[in-house]
Amino acid sequence: MFLSDFRKEFYEVVLNQRVLLLVASDVDALCACKILQALFQCDHVQYTLVPVSGWQELETAFLEHKDQFQYFVLINCGANIDLLEVLQPEEDIIFFVCDTHRPINIVNVYNETQIKLLVKQDNDLEIPAYDDIFRDEEDSGNESDESEPSGKRQRFEEEVVERTMKRRQRREWEARRQEILFDYEQYEYHGTSCAMMMFELAWIMSKDLNDMLWWAIVGLTDQWVQDKITQMKYVTDIGALQRHVSRHNHRNGDEENSLSIDCMRIAFEYDLCLALYQHWSLYESLCNTCYTSASLKLWSVQGQKKLQEFFADMGLPLKQVKQKFHSMDISLKENLREMIEESANKFGMKDLRVQTFSIHFGFKNKFLASDVVYAASSLMENTEKDESGTDNFIKALDSLSRSNLDKLHQGLELAKKQLCAIQRTVASCICTNLVISQGPFLYCYLMEGTPDVKLFSRPISLCLLSKYLLRSFIYSTKNKRCKLLPMVMAAPLDIEQGTVIMVGIPPQTESSDKKNFFGRAFEKAAENTNSRTLHNYFDMSIIELKMEDRSKFLDALISLLS
Amino acid sequence: MFGEKAIELIRELHRASDGQLPAFNEDGIRQVLEEMKALYEQNQADVNEAKSGHSELISTIKFRHCSLLRNRRCIVAYLYDRLLRIRALRWEYGSVLPNAVRFHMSAEEMEWFNQYKKSLATYMRSIGGGEGLDLTQDIKPPKSLYIEVRCLKDYGEFEIDDGTIILLKKNSQHFLPRWKCEQLIRQGILEHVLS
Repeated sequence: MFLSDFRKEFYEVVLNQRVLLLVASDVDALCACKILQALFQCDHVQYTLVPVSGWQELETAFLEHKDQFQYFVLINCGANIDLLEVLQPEEDIIFFVCDTHRPINIVNVYNETQIKLLVKQDNDLEIPAYDDIFRDEEDSGNESDESEPSGKRQRFEEEVVERTMKRRQRREWEARRQEILFDYEQYEYHGTSCAMMMFELAWIMSKDLNDMLWWAIVGLTDQWVQDKITQMKYVTDIGALQRHVSRHNHRNGDEENSLSIDCMRIAFEYDLCLALYQHWSLYESLCNTCYTSASLKLWSVQGQKKLQEFFADMGLPLKQVKQKFHSMDISLKENLREMIEESANKFGMKDLRVQTFSIHFGFKNKFLASDVVYAASSLMENTEKDESGTDNFIKALDSLSRSNLDKLHQGLELAKKQLCAIQRTVASCICTNLVISQGPFLYCYLMEGTPDVKLFSRPISLCLLSKYLLRSFIYSTKNKRCKLLPMVMAAPLDIEQGTVIMVGIPPQTESSDKKNFFGRAFEKAAENTNSRTLHNYFDMSIIELKMEDRSKFLDALISLLS
Repeated sequence: MFGEKAIELIRELHRASDGQLPAFNEDGIRQVLEEMKALYEQNQADVNEAKSGHSELISTIKFRHCSLLRNRRCIVAYLYDRLLRIRALRWEYGSVLPNAVRFHMSAEEMEWFNQYKKSLATYMRSIGGGEGLDLTQDIKPPKSLYIEVRCLKDYGEFEIDDGTIILLKKNSQHFLPRWKCEQLIRQGILEHVLS
């Protein structure tokens, strides 16, 4: 059931209770969790936080804690599956679900008592009406059994007609129900960011702080970096947040009672969408940003020449762009954004600037929202040390608070490595023609033993890679039909167990609504071929699969989609 | 030189920063006492001589006597400062001292510590409306009643005072009453998360 008044129906309910927070491992969930933690800490709500990375962990965490808690808050997980069926909770257990995954499972929507959805009711939810999906079962069985022994023949005939009518009606209704459900569940997409929902809760209670606002911004930026929402939605949400930003940060321009330099300030920026460029060199950032490297085709010799031309056009000496951004000549940095934008327009890169926010505190520290997203997500999927997923989760969580700058910087370094690895892999995939058109979709498999392959065994990194690859492929291919295709990508997950991780992403066109049909398609293909798959991730379009079943699974997928 | 050994004892304590308890310097104390004994004996002899008419010895006698008094003052200061440190230990570590600290105490100090412990316990039992009150907890008022902690090891179930049980599992985070956590933080099972 949807909650409309979060404060009355959620916050005041849990206010004097003990709450279990189950948080998915993505940056948006982390930010939402941070905001909620801050709120709970002001009001002394005792909570326990348990990170969960997939359905299996969610189930074990639930089983371990179900005796001790009555209230469970699920952040960025749980909406798109029938929770009551999966978890089999006692009747007094109540779930509050704050999730961006859509479509929301229909049972979750219509359960009045146990499942409360902390979800913004956007117009695009298109929930089917109750009567189309559910129907009281009583009227079918009972009547037919009451056969009267002394009944007249005519009466009996009437009854038979009535019964067949009913049966037919029922069958029609069933068919219609299937159809409606299919339409509803076919496409997977994402709704308003959890962090923003939590910030809204803080705001209506007048407990919002600048820090919380920053987390909401990072949560939204995560959705944009991961390409989960449309450009339209991003711009609308940025607009909503900008009102809060100007409300909280109006004292900056004021000369008389301006804040100390150590205070945190958030500012709106119309900045370059070059990854991490303020902490890197301009040259490397340009090379490793998906948008620029794909448009310039940097994997080819020609592309490299074009890059040199690009710098020449801007009038930036190579020596300057190759050193760290903050040591570049100040005179060059003055109009840098405008200069780059102007040259980029000439080279066909029209969307190089994007609305975003930056955070300042102290003299030295300035971060863009996307910097923090890259840092936190690479900390979360760090594969360098053999640490468990929860260790990485904790590190990423820490990196979001301002007192742990060293962790944030560590994350930035990791993110740079990750971006370089993605770029190298994209270049090698395109140069060696690893991307194959399978008819209804493009397919690419990362071989075992290719460098950095371990990095891509994690869902967020693999999604990022496949999105970069698809974009680059669109620029590299001459086949017009291929440009409109979605893509499936697979990488080895665990060599000893012989499993691969497979992700499907929607086509990247200008008008793309970011709706993904691979979730259902994977399910169906696995069903048809009896492949050994595991739907463990909260995104349905990411699955684990046995290595041997890969080819038959793909064949089924092709025949299903063509 | 007279008094050199005694001032050395004081310096030794001065060098050890607050809250530290250096080993009891038995050797140093013995040397000072020997020095004092020698001074006293010499003085005795000279006094006897002075009585028999050698009035020029009086200034020497006075000088020795001053040295004696000074040595006594130094030793008393040394012992008293150590006692203050030992008393502070009771408030910091609780009634059971770690072995390393106990090793640094003399037998008399040990006895004093036990007696202090006893009288403190008797006092704490007598206040707080018949139930007793642990004065060593929260000497300064805490900033908040609850703190955020992170679990570093799998510990298992843990019961807090209102009877609810929570599961302490590695890498889970909890928001718990401060005084319940302090013990576990000292044991290294929980970590206080500063945000």
